[in-house]
Amino acid sequence: MHPQDKARVRAEVLQRVLDRWAGSPTAAEDALLETIYHERRRLESEKDKTRCRREQVFYDELQRRLVQANGDRRRLLAEVIERFIDEVMGHFDQRVYRLATAVVPAGLSLLLNSVTPLRLLETLQGSSPLLDQLIISGETVALQKLSQKGTLILVSTHSSNLDSILLGYAIYRLGLPPFTYGAGLNLFENRLIGFFMHHLGAYKVDRRKQAPVYKDVLKTYAGYTMELGYHNMFFPGGTRCRSGRVEDRLKLGLLGMGLDAYIHNLKNDRRPADVFVVPCTLNYQLVLEAETLIEDHLKETGKSRFIIDDDEFSKPRRIFEWVRQIFSLHSTIHLVVGQPLDVFGNRVDEEGVSHDQRGRPIDRRRYVLDTDGSPTFSTQRDQQYTRELADAIVAEFRRCTVLRPINVVAAAVFDLLKAKNPGLDLFRLLRHGGREPQLDLREVYRRLEEKLSLLRASEQRGQLRLDDTLKSADPVAVMAEALSHLSAYHSRPALLRRGDRLEHQQRNLLLYYGNRLSGLMDREG
Amino acid sequence: MSSPSDAFYEIAVLGGGSFGTALAVILAECRRRVLLWVRRPQQAEEINQRHRNSAYLEGFDLPAELRAVCDLELAVRRSRVILLVVPSQSFRTVARQVGDLIGGDQILIHGTKGLELNTFKRMSQILREETCARKIGVLSGPNLARELMAGHPAGALLASTYDEVAEAVLPLFAGSRLRVYSGRDVVGTELAGAFKNILAIAAGAADGLSLGDNAKALLLTRGLSEMARFGVAMGGELLTFGGLAGIGDLMATCASPLSRNHQVGERLARGEKLPQILGNLKQVAEGVPTAKAVYQKALQLGLELPIVRAVHGLLYEEWSMGRAVEFLMALPTGNELAALRYR
Repeated sequence: MHPQDKARVRAEVLQRVLDRWAGSPTAAEDALLETIYHERRRLESEKDKTRCRREQVFYDELQRRLVQANGDRRRLLAEVIERFIDEVMGHFDQRVYRLATAVVPAGLSLLLNSVTPLRLLETLQGSSPLLDQLIISGETVALQKLSQKGTLILVSTHSSNLDSILLGYAIYRLGLPPFTYGAGLNLFENRLIGFFMHHLGAYKVDRRKQAPVYKDVLKTYAGYTMELGYHNMFFPGGTRCRSGRVEDRLKLGLLGMGLDAYIHNLKNDRRPADVFVVPCTLNYQLVLEAETLIEDHLKETGKSRFIIDDDEFSKPRRIFEWVRQIFSLHSTIHLVVGQPLDVFGNRVDEEGVSHDQRGRPIDRRRYVLDTDGSPTFSTQRDQQYTRELADAIVAEFRRCTVLRPINVVAAAVFDLLKAKNPGLDLFRLLRHGGREPQLDLREVYRRLEEKLSLLRASEQRGQLRLDDTLKSADPVAVMAEALSHLSAYHSRPALLRRGDRLEHQQRNLLLYYGNRLSGLMDREG
Repeated sequence: MSSPSDAFYEIAVLGGGSFGTALAVILAECRRRVLLWVRRPQQAEEINQRHRNSAYLEGFDLPAELRAVCDLELAVRRSRVILLVVPSQSFRTVARQVGDLIGGDQILIHGTKGLELNTFKRMSQILREETCARKIGVLSGPNLARELMAGHPAGALLASTYDEVAEAVLPLFAGSRLRVYSGRDVVGTELAGAFKNILAIAAGAADGLSLGDNAKALLLTRGLSEMARFGVAMGGELLTFGGLAGIGDLMATCASPLSRNHQVGERLARGEKLPQILGNLKQVAEGVPTAKAVYQKALQLGLELPIVRAVHGLLYEEWSMGRAVEFLMALPTGNELAALRYR
């Protein structure tokens, strides 16, 4: 963020959040009590007690003043909000900012910066740059052109903590300015990454903070940066997808801020007023955290974890191992930039013009006009627009998903396992694998061939994408590529070839990688 | 009177059939600024000059204030709300023409009960595909046009996912004899409206066979259960089927021997063949194609809908009446609400 905007953002976000929560002294008091409650709960569960000592004191003091002071609840709430804002924005220091922009080479300073750890790994590796294995395709030209015409919101599928790093790098490689991005605390805890995160675009998100006022600060901050023209990036699925499926349930809160910013801009006559949403997908052959994610997905409902902080990403050796495997398998990562949309979910062309489903140009301003013809907010209407935007993003996610051999082979093997064990419930099948610990390779090939022809037909209809191997290779080659990945990297091989038989070991992973296919083909229209 | 071109309209009704005209009449009588769009110039002229719509509402006088036009652009461009009441199979064509003319601030509602053949699309889906409008709604309920014209009280449901639609439309009918309620379940409302036409055929058949009121009530109640099961499986809300658009519409349609679908059932019971019946019906009997579409969809979904099954048998598989009755009577009974309760 430009230094001159910092003070402005701080003041405006404070004002807006305060107006929403402190409409009356009672409302302000309710908001304070609610916040104290959530923060105390969080602090109780905090492992590092010394670190939260100061916060404890703050909330004790706040409560004391709340009880004593018959006076200014609004003022007290403002203090809490300011505290949240400062934490989210980071303590901006002009000197550090100058240092950061000077030290880091000009190009790199534009990065979403978390690219650095990979650069480090790359140097360690001493061979071809890993990042060349990131293949960017799709609507990149539209993305570049639209970045000149309005604020962009890049929304991506999310399966790994490495996603933000790769997206940051892609943004750099496409020659775009850095995108504002809400990064989880765990990304800041690494001191090097944290340094760049703070000073070059990212803001800090503490997902343990559940207080509604805090969440509102985050949303308002992101929304206001959009108004000011800062491109944003986030994962509308909320967290890394646990099941391996392409996300189909999106969080609407942050997503709705694009529309909010658009209406604010129209009301304030700010030019350009436009906000464009660009969906994109990241498609790996190996997902760094696959084992942890699917395990969490399979926990009984309610026991799964919203925040996972002890996964593969927190273990440098696992990251290193992942990078090593990606190299040695010459494994590519596909990033597909999808069709840009307006904040209502309509298709937008390179010139920034919205189109309806028949391809006719639309005056999108008219969606938010009241009966007198002035732009206006309307809560229920705007939520519904955002739901329709989410539907359009999900459709685009699916269309832009690039399936890899690992996905198709995993799905074929898992289908066969289910067919061989009718009536066996999923959890038992996952645990002991059913009747046949090894499958006849010929049977697997038959399944695989069926799947491939279905998928190729779907690809012809534009429902999904296949990578080069899946497009044309025969089942033997597809199997070989999948096996090289399924038997590598993860703590135990998922699938191993034993002569003319296939041994399935980690069925969880077969489920995980195979899940990528679900929901892609069974759509109507 | 000022010419229609420079005026602003609260609502345009597209379609000069019996229901469309009746709605336009109700609105005109409430002194709303309403415009009725009809396809044929002679019909517009008849409405404007002689205050009659003899092709569809024989014997009724229309209010002098009601203006009809043939120019779609004129009707659509300057109206805040646009209400489409055109047959389901020409719905897409009209929707596409409307799509050339409107903007995202305008509200599109429709009163067409049926589904598009082949695609199985609901009318609101067609509106979404053919126009840029988002504020889309459906008006449905027990609304026999001739009774509306006679000035009797009636009720209807206006469903939309956008609350602004009800906020704009309900006041237009305020104080009229048509009591319009609001809801958000578009899917359920549209499916109920289409489904009840299948049941009207079944009710007509029961009447044709003179099975009596007990049998007809049995048929319709179990039919309502099928409607709800089907609607919920397609994404509708259960309670919608107990409301005006569900049971309300069903009661009116199946009680009235005037309904075209009812006539189809009745004439089948008298031994006539379907092509012959359809050949000399003046207007479309929506239940005939809908029965086929719903039957196929239910097969896909793995839903058992015996009454739909029987109507499909009568219409398309040359089942005799005896066979249809036997088929239904041979089904096991069991817990009445099981299929709804243990979904």
